[in-house]
Amino acid sequence: MSAFHVRRRRVAVVWRTLAAIALTVFFLFPIYWLFMISFKTAEEIFAFPPRWWPSRLQFDNYAVLFKDGDATTVWNSLVIASASTVLAMVLGTLCAYSLARFRTGGEHLSNWIISQRMVPPIAVVFPIFLIYVLFGWVDTYLGLILLYTAFNLPYVIWMMRGYILDIPISLEEAARVDGCTRWQVLWKVVFPMARAGLFATAILTFVFAWNEFLFALVLTRTEVTTYTVQVTHYFGGQSGFWAKISAMSVLGTLPIFVVVAFMQRYLVRGISLGAVKG
Amino acid sequence: MGRQIGRLSELLEVRVGSAGSLVAPRARPRERGFRLALVAPSIGVLLLFGVFPLVYLIVVSVQNITMTDVDQSFQGLLNYRLLAGDPRFWGALLHTAIFTAVALPLELVLGLAMAELFIKHVPGRTVFVALLVLPVVVSPIVAGTTWSLMFDNRFGPINQVLGWLAGGPVAILWTIRPDLVYGAILVAEVWQWTPFMFLLLLAALSGVDKSQLEAAAIDGAGYWRTFRTIVLPAIWPVMVVAILIRALDLVRLFDVVWALTKGGPGTMTETLSIFTYVKGFQQFETSYTAAMALLVIVLLSVAVFAALKRVELAR
Amino acid sequence: MADLRITGLHKHFGNVHAVRGVDLQIADGEFTVLVGQSGCGKSTLLRAIAGLEDIDAGTIAIGGNVVNDDPPHRRDIAMVFQNYALYPYMTVFENIAFGLRARGTPGAEVQTKVQQTARLLAIDHLLARHPRQLSGGQLQRVAIGRAIVRDARLYLFDEPLSNLDAQLRDEMRGEIKRLHQELNKTMVYVTHDQIEAMTMADRIVLMRDGRVEQQGAPLDLYERPATRYVAGFLGSPPMNFIEATLSSRDGGVHLSDGSVLELPAARLQRVGDGHGDRAVVLGVRPEHISRAAVNGLRPGVVAHLAQINLVQPTGARTYATFGLGGTAVVAELQAHDVSQPGERVELAIDMNRAVLIDPSTERVIS
Repeated sequence: MSAFHVRRRRVAVVWRTLAAIALTVFFLFPIYWLFMISFKTAEEIFAFPPRWWPSRLQFDNYAVLFKDGDATTVWNSLVIASASTVLAMVLGTLCAYSLARFRTGGEHLSNWIISQRMVPPIAVVFPIFLIYVLFGWVDTYLGLILLYTAFNLPYVIWMMRGYILDIPISLEEAARVDGCTRWQVLWKVVFPMARAGLFATAILTFVFAWNEFLFALVLTRTEVTTYTVQVTHYFGGQSGFWAKISAMSVLGTLPIFVVVAFMQRYLVRGISLGAVKG
Repeated sequence: MGRQIGRLSELLEVRVGSAGSLVAPRARPRERGFRLALVAPSIGVLLLFGVFPLVYLIVVSVQNITMTDVDQSFQGLLNYRLLAGDPRFWGALLHTAIFTAVALPLELVLGLAMAELFIKHVPGRTVFVALLVLPVVVSPIVAGTTWSLMFDNRFGPINQVLGWLAGGPVAILWTIRPDLVYGAILVAEVWQWTPFMFLLLLAALSGVDKSQLEAAAIDGAGYWRTFRTIVLPAIWPVMVVAILIRALDLVRLFDVVWALTKGGPGTMTETLSIFTYVKGFQQFETSYTAAMALLVIVLLSVAVFAALKRVELAR
Repeated sequence: MADLRITGLHKHFGNVHAVRGVDLQIADGEFTVLVGQSGCGKSTLLRAIAGLEDIDAGTIAIGGNVVNDDPPHRRDIAMVFQNYALYPYMTVFENIAFGLRARGTPGAEVQTKVQQTARLLAIDHLLARHPRQLSGGQLQRVAIGRAIVRDARLYLFDEPLSNLDAQLRDEMRGEIKRLHQELNKTMVYVTHDQIEAMTMADRIVLMRDGRVEQQGAPLDLYERPATRYVAGFLGSPPMNFIEATLSSRDGGVHLSDGSVLELPAARLQRVGDGHGDRAVVLGVRPEHISRAAVNGLRPGVVAHLAQINLVQPTGARTYATFGLGGTAVVAELQAHDVSQPGERVELAIDMNRAVLIDPSTERVIS
């Protein structure tokens, strides 16, 4: 290859890297700004010309949140999202296995499950609200956990079905001949083989439950308010509340960022494979 | 009890035709219990949250339950007629359509452009991709909040940069001026979901047959021709799925608009979901909202069904 | 005691009738090979024995107990799969130990048994490795190890050697045969390769279209096939088939190109019975056609002048193709035979060993 071509290649790479950096700055700047506001004092927020970074990181805004009890809403989100994710993954993966290996219920069941995913939350939130009032589930952990489980089930079932279909069935047959009951085969062979798919689906399920707003808005009051609802409590007020709002937002977003940081490989795989298997 | 389980499981197990080894054989009695146990809990949960609300909606939408009075007599299509005559409903429909029709192509094109950029070698690609995923995992409420901050008329960076360029303070009310508010919402929405499209399309692009691309290069095909004839058909299935997912989400748009404008100013940016929420939970027009909700479900189902049929035919 | 008795087995897959009424009896300790083309039902039969497929009719009895309703893990069988079916996330040791552990065998016993089995198969140095680090032959040994470590009463092999290259296949054939001699267990082995069937089986069950075409000792099927299919399936290169007419007048087989091959009198008695002429298909194996000069002519061996069309030396033998009765016929000549294409050569056809087939029933007449 001639030197000219090599140089052209290198120039192209440089351009692409610059473009990549520009894109990343564009997409991350708003998040950066949000974080920075939460660390600023009131004067710094209103300064002109703008202060692009605070003189020092001050945590007063956060301290207020903890003192006033807003921070517990993050804990609520954590409990609800975790529990509903576990529940959805367990129920959904078992159901997916049956669909994948035995085609239980045939086309009808599969299609019905998919159609559940397309129901707009706003449409069903009122009837569900009424059921919850009846059962006394409004403003309880159980209520939201069950609801998020139900809304994540179709996604989990669909994704895990695809992942299970990728496992060679001879592995399961070998285990059965070797002495495993059907349940043992699930536990010892299917789950380990589908590990990557389990993680990817679980992360996306968790993120969805964590970020959900509408159902939480309607179905919680004061006991189990999630952080998304709490953020909107301070809207429309004086701009003095911006510090609180941004700190609350950051507090609710940080845990997700941590999860993503550790599991980003699975998250990326989960999103991209979602379309391939869909 | 056992017999009932047996009949139920027979109902569930449909014998498919000559699909060879993919056909599920009729199970031994003990196996039937196993298969049923696998699906029963999921079906139970879905029934409770899926079927009952639908039934409720159908029933209530033909009644006349409002804020002031609980009239459960059969009213026929009263609510539907009210809907058809309600300009605010049509407004909400229009707003939702605008958001969908503008945001979706934007996200698609930008996401595709980004995917094309990253499909070739870029040093540290995994780092970039990991960072670019972040807008997607942020809550839409937080996304709306973030852009509220960005667009803030006094200390938001957008106005500050503009002011810097203009030489003096600029206090544009992005989230209040009728001519700008759509732009603001669209910016927030596209900002959050373009990376999603980007990820999907990046995966799709990496699945394009490289030997076909090489053959095209040897044949002298230019960039656009190659793109049109080889790349596009190859990524089309994934694109369809991506479009469907995003379209469904856009029709249900609520969180990000709520965070930025709460549907305002007035009802200018009110989407279908926001309108339904306001009517149902602030004005307690139960039957009316039930009718609207049902209508939206039916429209969505028809649209998705039609879209899927077209995709199947095309394949 | 682990004999295997199958009666009236039927299995459908939707509209496909994969196994049509198979009856089979396999004695304890016998090595039985189910052989046939793809789609003949041999794998389905094996999987039904294993319990991996439910059957639509018939009974399967192992050691006298009917096992129709028993799931695989209750039948005390072991199976070796075509694609090994090893667990990629476990070491070789854990793979082999899997079955023992699943049945709750105590740890110390697991250790000794796995070590023993590994040593028997010469893979004890691989116990800590993972499947992705092993070659095809090693993987196959691990799969076999996993099967035999449990000391089951019946062993099933589903085309275990199809994924190996030719040399490895020869080696593993011997290994499996040796194992059978040492362990003396009942083994049922499925393959499409007739060489494997011939060399390994105590008894061959040749299947076709879901039915048993013929079963018996390998040499029985080879020398006394019951149908044209069996005759043509076993033997490589395959038997030559030539359409002909059997005349009861002169006791000869008349071919379309005018040649006449005489049948030895004894055979003619059994076949022809003065009913005039009858259409037959003549079957002659390549090894029963040789150079007249080499073996000479004996009673029942007919001389024929042939024009060689094609010569294919393999090192051990040379195969010559010539035209006879309108068909291309292969003869097996000696390795150093120097016949050239175009030459006319005098061949000797052993009519004692030829078979006559009724074209309408496809059954061997004599």
